[in-house]
Amino acid sequence: MSRFILWLRAYQGWFGTAGGLCVAAGLYLGLVSSPPDAYQGEVVRIMYMHVPLAQTSLFAYATLFICSLWYLWKRDPVVDNAAHAAAGIGVFFTSAALVTGSIWAKPTWNTWWTWDPRLVSFTVLLLILIGYLMLRMFIDEPERQARFAAILAIVGGIDLPIVKFSVEWWRTLHQPLSISPRGISYAGAMLVPLVVMAIGVALLFTYMLMVRTQLLYLRQLLEAKKGRLLSRAHL
Amino acid sequence: MRFFSFIGWIVWKDLLSELRSRESLSSMLFFALAVILIFSFSFSTDEEAVRQLIAGVMWVAFGFTGIIGLGKSFASELQNDCLEALQVNPIPKGAIYLGKLLANLIFIVSVELLLLPLFVIFFNLDILAKLPVLLVIMMSGTLGLSALGTLFSALTVQIRAREVMLPILLLPMAVPVFIGAVEATRGVLDGEPFGFYRPWIDLLLVFDVIFVVVSFWVIEFVLDT
Repeated sequence: MSRFILWLRAYQGWFGTAGGLCVAAGLYLGLVSSPPDAYQGEVVRIMYMHVPLAQTSLFAYATLFICSLWYLWKRDPVVDNAAHAAAGIGVFFTSAALVTGSIWAKPTWNTWWTWDPRLVSFTVLLLILIGYLMLRMFIDEPERQARFAAILAIVGGIDLPIVKFSVEWWRTLHQPLSISPRGISYAGAMLVPLVVMAIGVALLFTYMLMVRTQLLYLRQLLEAKKGRLLSRAHL
Repeated sequence: MRFFSFIGWIVWKDLLSELRSRESLSSMLFFALAVILIFSFSFSTDEEAVRQLIAGVMWVAFGFTGIIGLGKSFASELQNDCLEALQVNPIPKGAIYLGKLLANLIFIVSVELLLLPLFVIFFNLDILAKLPVLLVIMMSGTLGLSALGTLFSALTVQIRAREVMLPILLLPMAVPVFIGAVEATRGVLDGEPFGFYRPWIDLLLVFDVIFVVVSFWVIEFVLDT
């Protein structure tokens, strides 16, 4: 049993509890005690979920990217498990960010969807993560699975800024961005719940990552032991 | 210099086997023909719709046709252990990548050149004066698609559901190529001055350079034995 895995098991509780408390505090501050927005009214409260979710999904991809580079350099299977875990959790956070963003968009921009650079980049991010998970699903051999997945994550990571940049260009040339997600300047009373929620969601992501990495590691260990048992039986 | 001769050998091998069997070119051509016919039925009578949509239609046709060709590029190596032969061969893996890339580029651009007259006929386009720029856009867009597509073809050739995985992996990542190519083509066909759509060609060229280089670096991990 890898020492890192044992460390994860020991400390996962701390991250989970801290994350849970932060999110609870943030939800209270955001949904109950903070003031409604001057223009958007109560609708703005979904921002307290949406922005942390979006930030954490980018954090998830950054984790995936770094773990993939690390795996190709050091070939450590635990790092590969962490990358796989980050991708799976990243799909959840990216979808949640897109859905909450869409719910927020309908009352404020009067449309469920628009070809905004951030929306397109997040959609491409989601598709890349799903493609990554599908690739892993279709390769059985663990070493090749890890290697190819790492390559895909790295190429995707280089591609994402180019996607964001090209769509930004495309939209500014076609129409000036009359509706901009940056249009909100945060008043102090809104900034505090947002920061608390952001920290809380990031801690929860870390907790989920720790648990899922252990799960994937144990699953691989089980497969390896099954393989050894079977080969011993054949002897 | 030997590096370039290795690339030349790979290109020659692919071209020769394709000229003998014509398997990839014919499937690409007939698929593209079907796509053009379907789009033509949809809106070739509506002048305004044609003017607005033709650039996108062209690149949908070119893109999906290209994916067929890219898939076959490494799939043809599966027979007779040719893929293993390539992997154990002492030539640098980057040369294999560039050779395959060049061969794919030649095939896909040939099909695009055969399709261009069909577009002119079915949609009543006027492109004779703008042909050089259009060719540049077609080459850069196809290079961008092929750069990533050849890498992903090598990645997906030995896995299950190979034909489905290539488009799933390639299309989201190739979004900048499609945006740049469609906008540049639209600029050319609408008769805009060169300066208006030149940034899109620059975007295409930058994308091409970045992804040929990245794929060149990464291919050795893919073709590792």
